Amino acid sequence: MPTLTINGKKVQSREGAYVLEAARQAGVEIPTLCHFEGLEPWGGCRLCQVQITKDGWDGWKKMVVGCMFPVEEGLIVLTETDEVRETRRVVLDLLLARCPDTPLIRTMAKEYGVERTSYVSNPEPTDCILCSLCTRVCDHIGVSAISTADRGAGKEIAPPFHEPPAACIGCLACAEICPTDFIPYTTSHTTRSIWGREFEMLRCEDCGRAHITKAQAEHHAANRAETTDVPQEWFRYCDSCKRKQQASRFPAVPQLV
Amino acid sequence: MKETCPVETEQADAILEGYPHAEASLIQVLQDVHRAYNYLPCDVVVKVAETLGVPLAKVFSVATFYKAFSLKPQGDTIIRVCMGTACHIRGGGALVDEVERLLHVAPDETTPDMKFTRNTVNCVGACAMAPVMIVGEKYRGNARAVRVGGYLELGGDDDAN
Repeated sequence: MPTLTINGKKVQSREGAYVLEAARQAGVEIPTLCHFEGLEPWGGCRLCQVQITKDGWDGWKKMVVGCMFPVEEGLIVLTETDEVRETRRVVLDLLLARCPDTPLIRTMAKEYGVERTSYVSNPEPTDCILCSLCTRVCDHIGVSAISTADRGAGKEIAPPFHEPPAACIGCLACAEICPTDFIPYTTSHTTRSIWGREFEMLRCEDCGRAHITKAQAEHHAANRAETTDVPQEWFRYCDSCKRKQQASRFPAVPQLV
Repeated sequence: MKETCPVETEQADAILEGYPHAEASLIQVLQDVHRAYNYLPCDVVVKVAETLGVPLAKVFSVATFYKAFSLKPQGDTIIRVCMGTACHIRGGGALVDEVERLLHVAPDETTPDMKFTRNTVNCVGACAMAPVMIVGEKYRGNARAVRVGGYLELGGDDDAN
């Protein structure tokens, strides 16, 4: 278990952890946009940059990306120096230039003293910050219906050929993980539509509420049932009915006194 | 965005035969396909994805990322005018205007007779020869707008090889 110092505080961290995880564990706040605990670190948004140094470095400091820099014994991490704040301010200034109307970006930029971007504001404002959380979560589920397309200034998130993606299962993971709510969808008790596709909904056998798409349950049965140990049965009832069923079984559970 | 589908996929089948069916083969396969068809037909892109076992979205991402790949049919000769800093300073813009005047096509578009495709590139790494334009395989250094018509007529066979 490596011991490191974060802002002057000694912190014990998990072997193989990254600086971001160690810092958050120690209650040190580091802003992120492209980070999600269930996914591999990405290092895309550059907001989690921190400075590191070590005894014997003669006060020399280095800027690293917190979510991707592995912890090591004796590491000294600084998360609130002027240089760190300035670096994050530039990142947010650039993000604000791309997304001038996005509430989350505006709030975060304001925290770093950026009310208005100092760069040329995007003539076609978008809410997409290209953090790739949507494509990464889609890959993680094993669907890969969307990806980044083009590059540079024209880079965007898109399904293949900009057509409704055949691989999509309508799980909404992309829309829900999106930090800026950029991906549009509609969902009702009968159908859901996202990325130009229409999906049939499965209803809870108890309360009748629609909870997942049929394609999602089928994808689970075909690809995930074995590895996740979650049986197909799981999808017969919605979350709230499952909770009720669980609760009704509690009185029968022997009490540990 | 899908264009000119369907298309014969025999050539693609032959190309795919020659590579291990793995993600690592993707770019080489796409390069060969691009050479064979002079672009990446969408049917073939779908076939490559299925055969190599790579999600279609990933193949699309790669196909749109590299300037060397096009999802639209390309002309026989590709004209690339360098828009790098050195070329810009030495009059690259005039070359772009002249190509547009002669061919009447927007950037990344092809003439109706399928002879020329007009591209702009950010730097071709030949700044000492600025301004540079490349017609097919032929690099034209110290290019002048008045000579652009001549370059196009001479075509793009590379006589250096």
